[in-house]
Amino acid sequence: MKLIISNISGIPIYEQIKQQVKSAIMSGDLHADETLPSLRTLAKDLKISVLTVTRAYTELEEEGFVKNIQGRGCFVLSRGSELLKEQLLCKIENSLLEAINAARVAELSGEELHHLLDILMEEKTDE
Amino acid sequence: MSNIWKSVKLDFSLVRPYVKTICFTMVLPVVFAAINRSLLTGISFAMCFIAMTTGYTFSITEKNSMERLYGILPIRKSDMVIGRYIFIIIMGLTALIFSLIAHPVILTILGESIGIFDYISAAVTGIFLFALYTVFQLPGYYKLGSIKGRVFMYIPVAGFLITLLPITKSPVGESKLLFTVINSPILLMLLAVIFVIAMYVVSISVSIKILKNKEM
Amino acid sequence: MNNYLEVKNLSKSFDNFRLHDIAFTLPKGYIMGLIGPNGSGKTTTIKLILNMLKRTDGEVKILGLDNIADEQAAKKSLGVVFDSNYFSDDWKVSQVEKSVSVFYENWNTQRFSELLDKFHISPAKKVKELSKGMQMKLMIACAFSYDAKLLILDEPTSGLDPVSRDELLHILSEYIEDGEHSVLFSTHITGDLERAADYITYISYGELFFSGSKDEFMDSFRIVKGGREELSDDLGKKALGIRDFATGFEALIKTEDIKQFAHLNMEPATIDDIVVFTSKRGEQYE
Repeated sequence: MKLIISNISGIPIYEQIKQQVKSAIMSGDLHADETLPSLRTLAKDLKISVLTVTRAYTELEEEGFVKNIQGRGCFVLSRGSELLKEQLLCKIENSLLEAINAARVAELSGEELHHLLDILMEEKTDE
Repeated sequence: MSNIWKSVKLDFSLVRPYVKTICFTMVLPVVFAAINRSLLTGISFAMCFIAMTTGYTFSITEKNSMERLYGILPIRKSDMVIGRYIFIIIMGLTALIFSLIAHPVILTILGESIGIFDYISAAVTGIFLFALYTVFQLPGYYKLGSIKGRVFMYIPVAGFLITLLPITKSPVGESKLLFTVINSPILLMLLAVIFVIAMYVVSISVSIKILKNKEM
Repeated sequence: MNNYLEVKNLSKSFDNFRLHDIAFTLPKGYIMGLIGPNGSGKTTTIKLILNMLKRTDGEVKILGLDNIADEQAAKKSLGVVFDSNYFSDDWKVSQVEKSVSVFYENWNTQRFSELLDKFHISPAKKVKELSKGMQMKLMIACAFSYDAKLLILDEPTSGLDPVSRDELLHILSEYIEDGEHSVLFSTHITGDLERAADYITYISYGELFFSGSKDEFMDSFRIVKGGREELSDDLGKKALGIRDFATGFEALIKTEDIKQFAHLNMEPATIDDIVVFTSKRGEQYE
């Protein structure tokens, strides 16, 4: 698993770790029952504080992605990727609902909205 | 190994690079003894010289700010102080033993005869003088450090100059007389030993008190 | 025992300086940075912990042991690095070991020589022939050879080049990796701590300003920036420190106050920012 910490991104380091662990779970880089790097070793390797890594791991556990077993490490939960997918789905739904509401105000038809989505997706794949 | 001996060992490591210099200072009194044709003068000169080097441990620690090392070592301050006194007494005794061998050899070659009383009186005087110098020097060094307390280095010189007056006036032959005056040389020696021990006990406790109150 | 260092109400009065009511706790397995401008009392605090200075009041516990009543026992598990070395200049590295090792029952000669290898220190060299960085590593090698549980460093990075500073941070993070060792690290070069420290204790003019986790410390403050006309009286009162100049101003404020100034440009504060801004205030108001 790859972990890169940026000092200038402005995103807190614990947040960067969380995001990267999540995307590794999504992409299948981290499988269920696999362990995350040892907390203290990761802190040493990234030259960051132990407490920062602890915070990232604790929050990942609270959000249900991993399970910390004392003395054995942090395990990726099997429902981790499903959970993440669910969360993302929920996020997509909300965003789309917002788009629909905005379209209504702008008096855009459903067809036009679909069309807009197609254009945007095409642009995104071109990138 | 007790903490006191560890402390003695550390002191020895400190002066190790200067051992040659210290040994060299022991050669001069031999010459002095030869010129004066007197064992007593030679020994008191030797003890004066060696007592002048007792500041070495202090000046080396001061030069390298080693009070910080002493500050972190897991050892009581009293053990450090006692260790330093033992180290310095060992230095003094080594110088005395060397001088008690070297001086008579030279004097015998020069045709002087040295009796057992000369020998004992020289040894007792040597111990007594060395103790007298160092019991004042060490608390001085502990209190002021070796740079500010440099004046304590010259205590032996002053002491030597004072003792020089009567000693040179009483040549080797007459010191026998000195001993016959005091009818029991054993009692004299005993008194000297008790006095020396008492002086060291007082001096050591003063030094410990100084070091304990010292802030580094 | 979970706290390797506990300092309570520590006070010391000098003729011209007073360290007042310092308190902090360093749990086992973490790095704490002791920060503050020069003369704020960092070294005094460390010397009080080591009982090299006599405290006026308070209590210090090293690995659960009182630093005065159980001084010798506490110091057996304590390693200390000062800004310059405390060995005799004329000693060879091998002599340093001979002189110091006798004082520690658990001294590990093999570990010492491994560390010398690792730090590229030749045992045949004299202490005075070593660079400043090497001398620092020699002090660390000694502390590690008797497995000191708590390592206290007083301004170890002043006068070191960036390479040595980075090496030191690496050594320290390796040291605490097993969770059984702790580090108290005083410095005014706070960049060293920005990433590696878990806790921060900030002393300013002899008073404790903050002690707690570094993230909390840095989250507690923000830098706001704006044009001079945006520098309101309210902001002036709330700000912990302000630097104004011809074209605008920069100020340090507490994060709890940011809502009122949401219209201004806001960014996270570095440890340096916090120290600089809060210390300026001290000068102005004293």
